[in-house]
Amino acid sequence: MSRLEAKKPPLFISEPLTKDTFSQSLSLLSGILKSCYGPAGRLKQLHNGAGGYVCTTSQSSAIFGHLSVSHPILRVLTASVQNHVSRFSDCGLFTAILCCGLIENLRSLNIASCTIIKISKHLLSLCMDYLKSEACGCRIPVDFSSVEALLCLVRSVLTSKPACMLNKQEVDHLTVLILKAFMFTVPSHVETNAVLGKCIVVPVKGKRVVDSTVLPGLLIETPEIPSAKPLIVKRSCSNVIKIALFCVSMSGDLFSPEEGTITVHHGISLEKSELNQLLNVGNQLVNDEVGLVICQKVIHPSLKQYLKENHIIAVDRAGLSLMEPLSQMTGSKPIASIHFLSPSCYGSLKDVRIESFASKHFVHLIPTDAVVCSLLLCNRNETAWDELK
Amino acid sequence: LPMAFRDVNARRHIGLQQLSSLALAGRTLLGPMKSCKFIVDESTNQSTLICSAVRLIESLDLTGAAGQLLNETIQAQNKEFNTGMSTLLFLIGAWSNAVLECLQQNVPVSAIVSVMSEGLNSCCERVQCLQISIHDVNKEICSCSVKPNAFKSITCQIGCNSLLNPQIFLYVQKDISAPEEVIPRNSHSHQEDDSKFNERLLSPLAGFGERASLVKPTGEKSTPMISGSGGITSSCNKQKLTHSRYFSTLGRSHFSSQQSNFQGYLSGSSADLCECCGLEHLAMALSHGNQTGVKLLQSIVAYQREKAECSSSSQFNIAEIVTCCLLGLPESFSCVSPGFVTLVSPEQATVIKYFEDKLLRILLMDGDLTEQYRHLGFNRPCNVRTVLEHPSLLEGRAGDLWLSSMLDILRSFEVNLVLVKGNVCENLMERCIANSILVIGSVTRDVLCAFGEVTSAQSVTYLTQLNASCVGSGAQVGLWKACDGRAMDLGELVPVSIKVEGIPLLTAVLTTTVASKMQLIEDQFWTSAYRLHHALSDKKVFRGGGAVELLCLSHIQMLAEKPLQPENKNAVKEFHNPWLTASVTEYKSVVLRALASGWKQYLSVVMFNTAKAASELEARTSIDHHLKKAAECGSPSAYILKEFRKGNLFRAGSGAFADYGEDVKVYDNLAAKTEAWRRALDLVLLVLQTDAEIITGPQRNQLLNSHISSEFMFL
Repeated sequence: MSRLEAKKPPLFISEPLTKDTFSQSLSLLSGILKSCYGPAGRLKQLHNGAGGYVCTTSQSSAIFGHLSVSHPILRVLTASVQNHVSRFSDCGLFTAILCCGLIENLRSLNIASCTIIKISKHLLSLCMDYLKSEACGCRIPVDFSSVEALLCLVRSVLTSKPACMLNKQEVDHLTVLILKAFMFTVPSHVETNAVLGKCIVVPVKGKRVVDSTVLPGLLIETPEIPSAKPLIVKRSCSNVIKIALFCVSMSGDLFSPEEGTITVHHGISLEKSELNQLLNVGNQLVNDEVGLVICQKVIHPSLKQYLKENHIIAVDRAGLSLMEPLSQMTGSKPIASIHFLSPSCYGSLKDVRIESFASKHFVHLIPTDAVVCSLLLCNRNETAWDELK
Repeated sequence: LPMAFRDVNARRHIGLQQLSSLALAGRTLLGPMKSCKFIVDESTNQSTLICSAVRLIESLDLTGAAGQLLNETIQAQNKEFNTGMSTLLFLIGAWSNAVLECLQQNVPVSAIVSVMSEGLNSCCERVQCLQISIHDVNKEICSCSVKPNAFKSITCQIGCNSLLNPQIFLYVQKDISAPEEVIPRNSHSHQEDDSKFNERLLSPLAGFGERASLVKPTGEKSTPMISGSGGITSSCNKQKLTHSRYFSTLGRSHFSSQQSNFQGYLSGSSADLCECCGLEHLAMALSHGNQTGVKLLQSIVAYQREKAECSSSSQFNIAEIVTCCLLGLPESFSCVSPGFVTLVSPEQATVIKYFEDKLLRILLMDGDLTEQYRHLGFNRPCNVRTVLEHPSLLEGRAGDLWLSSMLDILRSFEVNLVLVKGNVCENLMERCIANSILVIGSVTRDVLCAFGEVTSAQSVTYLTQLNASCVGSGAQVGLWKACDGRAMDLGELVPVSIKVEGIPLLTAVLTTTVASKMQLIEDQFWTSAYRLHHALSDKKVFRGGGAVELLCLSHIQMLAEKPLQPENKNAVKEFHNPWLTASVTEYKSVVLRALASGWKQYLSVVMFNTAKAASELEARTSIDHHLKKAAECGSPSAYILKEFRKGNLFRAGSGAFADYGEDVKVYDNLAAKTEAWRRALDLVLLVLQTDAEIITGPQRNQLLNSHISSEFMFL
């Protein structure tokens, strides 16, 4: 029989904010954050000390992502800042610095905490009211009919990140690209509830920043399809390309590994029967005049061969992140089973092309009306690229 | 408490110091005459021979943050260009030192960052006047090799350059004022009269004038910071600038037509003659003394051109080259052999006897050829149990079943040759040899694709997929024979060559008797090949041998010495954040000098390494001498070009080129060089801007116990 270790008696700490260890940690944290702030802010190298990847950054999201803070109060603080960043993706550093500063300063006032809370809540509401009122001088109406203000906005965000290592020309180039990408995502026919489209960032590392571009439609990386030959796509009657989108694995392995054992008689191959099912699906795709098959996961080589022989382009390993924009762009419903195939799931595309950037080959899917675009983002090295993203 | 925090930003920045000491190791790898290094592992006493910055960094144990970033930077350069890594490494070290000196003098970080990056940008623009298009290089090189008097073609070159590139205008003016250089030019352009010609030379300035005025419409004088062209600032040129305004209103419409006229005329004169040998010479000029590599490359170029004449594909295709390393033959046996050359075991080689002079049926496989292999993304089921109802003799021979069924498939399609991307099952290999089927494993994708294209074979993943249309035909296999006509038997492995009629694939067979040199020779070959590849894709090259760096030096010197004028301050304001302006201008000259010191060190080390100077000090003196003369001359680029043409300046690669006479030109890659500069500066500035190192992970106790624990704070 094993002995159970007696639990340590609970330890109560009153007035945790006044403890020395806390105030040291807090001032250290706020020191780290303060030195990151602004376009001339200093960078931090984050690594595990054992030869792991080094992240050089001044971004709050990256810093908080790597930091593991042990003090419970600091943990509350970082967690709330992280939530703020994930909601607005901006002003993380500002929030954190403000928090640290408020705690530090209010603690030195020596006033009962409930009074402080009351007063600061009141002050906050006053501030908010003023900022929302028309009398506020800080507010600038954003004129969406001209690009000037928007360009300025994007540029100011880009220049505040020194770790990107951009020069002026590169900043200008990226600013225009980002704005262009934003414009692509604005739908041209505005309905009652306008929804912005998606912009997919395609990483191209090791190239110059000025080589970045924006393309309407989606890019899927395909190492297999050679770019030399022009692509011949089967088109259906109305001159659009029929597309089938699978979000289930078509690699021919068995259904999900669940508990329990399957007993099979010798001589029966589950693999073979699964492959036959896949080939049946392939047969149906051929009959339905599908021109392009995209699978989120892997397609079995035999099925690929079969599709190719029937002049259907097969693209696999598209990845989960592309599935939603793909179905949004093509109007197709992702097919989640290789046993039931309904023709209503198919979507359509205007054109498919092969593009190559920096030794990578992509299939470029061009939709009939684009609310989805791809931003090919290049940077010289990984560190700078991560920061740029 | 798994987080430590170290303040790295004392006056002596630790990260920069790490960079500079790491880079110090690569000093002798710079320039055309590299000295190899042994890297010894003390624990195993094994050593490797290295001769490039990539291999150096690869074999060092880099645990620090700065070291990691250095490694990442060098790998990125290697991946994109395959050249320029030694330059990169050296400049990282030199600039780290320079920046450390700036910090000593209390220059603020923001000033260092903005001035240095602007300085580098300005230099990159300035050196554009030293770039030559590939077309002109061909002409230049060929006229040199055809007739020893290269004078005409070079002056011709100048004219052409000036039209292509407005910034070079000033020195053209200079050349024209010297009578003996005008004469050959006129003899070239005999149909034109003098005045018309001058107008042409001025017309590119029209474009320039407009550009300058665009930047600053009210100022009379454009500053070099804005225009990126330093030669325009002296007072005599001011007049010419106003001249150009005149032309810009008058002669704008003529400009484009004249330019095309002129170029057409130039290209018509000698282009046909040159195309034939241009690439070979270009390869040599870019290789900076790597002789074996160049010879191989030249025969590759010759071979590919021959093919191109039939098919009209591009001139030099790097994707159609593979290398095969043969250990045990003298280096003079290196050669280029059409098709695919690879090493096989003696047992496999016995099969080849049956294949002589036969056309074989070929099968390509893009995975492993083993029973267990499944394609990527296939998850093996873990909860399937097979039961056997009637135990029979087949039991325990499942593997044999697979072997014989695979062999049956191969035999039924009459396959003779199988190229496999991955591994091959030993037993199957044996069975195949017994059935005289040659199976070769570990073949790269590119090779498979090349064979697929000419034999119309389609690669498969499983043999069960095989159908008649997948099998290609027409391959020929034979023992590879060295240039003396003998087949090789190098003990354990036998080189065989696989050919198909019309395959574009070429194998560079690299031979050496010294095992440790093998890697080195292969690296050097690929470096030369990629230099040629990038030169052709850039369509331009730099004049090499230090010309570019020297021009940068003189340009920076000029920027640094320029007194600050009011307009100039405005110019600065446009580029930087307004609140930085004051500090930036204050420290400008200090920081620019630091930037220049990087290039100066680079040149002096190259000169020292190539034994052009007895010591680095002597090299420095000679550089300073040239800089002074260039500054006195008024137009540094003209001076540098002139001196380089005469061969008076330090010329790289003299030893290696002794056989070819002194007339050999040296060129550098354009993008690779400037990108290496930029990457080097980026890394240094990135590390400079870092003020803290945050270590996450569970090593708290280790850090607490180590001798540097006092430097850390814990959160």
